Amino acid sequence: MDYKVLKGLVIDDFPSMRSAFKSALASFGMTRVDVAGTAAEAIARIKGQRYDIIICDYNLGEGRNGQQLLEELRQRGMLDLESVFLMVTAESMYESVVATAELGPDDYLIKPFNGDMLRCRLDAILPRKQTFQSVYRHFKHGNLEAALSGCDVILREHPKYIVDVLRLKGEILVTMGEFEQAEELYKQIVAMRAVPWSKLGLAKAMHLQGKSAAAEALLLDIIGRHPNMVASYDLLADVQLAQNKAQEAQGTLQRGAAVSSKSPKRQRRLGEIALQNNDLATAEKAFRATLEKGRNSIYLVPNDVANLSRVYLKQGKPRAASEVVMNNREFLHESRDGKLVAAVMLSQVSARNDDTENARARIREAMRLREDGVVVDLDLDLDMLEACVKAGMEEEANHILTEVARNAHDHPTLLDQARRLYAEAGRQDVAETVLRQATARVIELSREGALLLKKGELRQSLEKMLLACQEAARNPRILMNAAWVSLRLLEEEGLSQNLLSQAQRLLADVDRLAPEHPRLAGLRTTLRQFQTQMN
Amino acid sequence: MHSPAGDTALEREDLYASLLHELKNNLVLMSITLEDIRHTGDAEHDRKLNEVRLQCQRIAERLMQALFVYRHAQSGGTELHAIDAYPVEDLLDELAVQARSLRSGMVIETVKADDVPAIWFFDRNMLEIALLNALHNSMLYARARIRIVARMEDDMLCVAIEDDSEGYPEHILQSVALGKPLRSNGTGLGLRFATMIAGAHVNGARTGRLRLRNQGGAVFEMLLP
Repeated sequence: MDYKVLKGLVIDDFPSMRSAFKSALASFGMTRVDVAGTAAEAIARIKGQRYDIIICDYNLGEGRNGQQLLEELRQRGMLDLESVFLMVTAESMYESVVATAELGPDDYLIKPFNGDMLRCRLDAILPRKQTFQSVYRHFKHGNLEAALSGCDVILREHPKYIVDVLRLKGEILVTMGEFEQAEELYKQIVAMRAVPWSKLGLAKAMHLQGKSAAAEALLLDIIGRHPNMVASYDLLADVQLAQNKAQEAQGTLQRGAAVSSKSPKRQRRLGEIALQNNDLATAEKAFRATLEKGRNSIYLVPNDVANLSRVYLKQGKPRAASEVVMNNREFLHESRDGKLVAAVMLSQVSARNDDTENARARIREAMRLREDGVVVDLDLDLDMLEACVKAGMEEEANHILTEVARNAHDHPTLLDQARRLYAEAGRQDVAETVLRQATARVIELSREGALLLKKGELRQSLEKMLLACQEAARNPRILMNAAWVSLRLLEEEGLSQNLLSQAQRLLADVDRLAPEHPRLAGLRTTLRQFQTQMN
Repeated sequence: MHSPAGDTALEREDLYASLLHELKNNLVLMSITLEDIRHTGDAEHDRKLNEVRLQCQRIAERLMQALFVYRHAQSGGTELHAIDAYPVEDLLDELAVQARSLRSGMVIETVKADDVPAIWFFDRNMLEIALLNALHNSMLYARARIRIVARMEDDMLCVAIEDDSEGYPEHILQSVALGKPLRSNGTGLGLRFATMIAGAHVNGARTGRLRLRNQGGAVFEMLLP
């Protein structure tokens, strides 16, 4: 291996360790090495250029740790599978760091180690990366069938990579929506050895097929044996929610957060579920942690500020609700979504304080942002609705309610919340009229579409469903129904560029609205198969 | 229930642990500096350099093992979380490179029996620490030759360090064979660590173990189910 041509990045908060790494790398000819002292500095470096090898200490002092940095890099698409990422830990951290996340580095090194050991590890990893290169590229570009057959070639020719190949195959199958095949594959790995990640993969494949009871039992077993493996708490909470066990899901996430409190995503989910369970104290704590842990990372979104502010309002603390918006003003002003959150939450606060004039000014500001096409989260819509009702802006309220109802006619809890808001102001009859008018057309169109589909009138069915999509452009189920019929038509009537682009557009919208919807992966795979045929 | 005396004892132990930890980190930096000092070809200089490098590594290893044994016992954990699939030949190569880098003048060979599968499941980092410790021991006592061997025994992977020394003294063989407690210093600590690591390799109903014997020298074997 020619290390002279490779670019390296060393991330460690201690200058003495950074130079020690550099000299260890130089001892086998790797001299093109940059250094970074913090996660933020590392991200800036990686933005500027691609590194072949990244060596990162788990402990980076204040702020994000090495694992969080790795996850952020992968999530932002800044680190592809072809690059090597080595995590360095002290022996004292090793047991709690290693194999606890779903998304791991290529290898772990324990301090102390020397240049020879570092080189040995790299000598083993680089040829593996080389062998997998084309598979990684196919996977990255969404050529999943090609990636799968590439895996089978490696399986035949390189028996020593058998477990790496099987693991990657499992990921590809899940991405394709082939959950049954994925389950079979993970069972095969578990039979070789029940390593934690293989059991986690199996549980995920089961969950995605709706086999909740089996998935739950398996996850409880993993957690019992490997309590540090935080990814299993997150999945278990999903499985419990799928069974409408919101209390259990909250408990599970609380245990996960106790093992590792640093993840803003976990804290956010915990807060959302606690809020749903009306456990305001837990929700407050979790949303505060979300803001704190997510600060200066891509994981923080404006809705996190809205969540905490919402909890304070429910607790009857309007002052705290406005303070959290004010304290995060700079962050909120960076984006239009953020500005909308600030306007909506402050209008709520003013409405609570009976400061109608101020509430109205904020609502008008929010309405302007909304008209400019900011995509609004349904919870935020409800907040706005509440402020409008309280401030006596019925016209605006009805406008928002109409839009919420059109896009969520099949979401009864949300509609009930809206009804309650009107009822509190003694306007329940208005709510009913608006709801009826708003949902009538989308309900009618979906019903007609379904009927025509039953009769086998695919063309006419699609027409109705596309009209329904215009009515409810933010309802993932309506969009997916239309996409499904488009794909059926392609199958029946043969290839057509029109139908293909239509399905593609619809699924792209769903991907934006509900990227983790269980139906999405399967529809995408079907779409891809037609696209391959077309080419 | 926490008694005040208990808390104090705990704090004292944590103080020891962090002291060991810091000493170990200092040693890491020292060993990296030592690596920067080049061999000159002058026999006396090179011999001393090799000696001090080996000593430094041994101290760092010892501290690391002491910390691990201490924490492992405290957490009551028996199963290793990092057990995964690794190519057996990579393990042997890495150990050999490590051993050769100390330039002890020993002949170091690796042997992989034909029936050893391409991969096996183990916690490579922990296993390596235990095996390197055995290798360093052999370097002190062997006459000329050390073999790093992988073979199958009773459906378990057996990784062995074999040398041509006079072998282990009888009391050490007895202690390990009978599972009697070993002293927590010197060779005893390394063996205690190796016993713990082997025993943390669990596969279904079977548990790994450490075995020592004398056969043409000292034979140190880790059996992994």
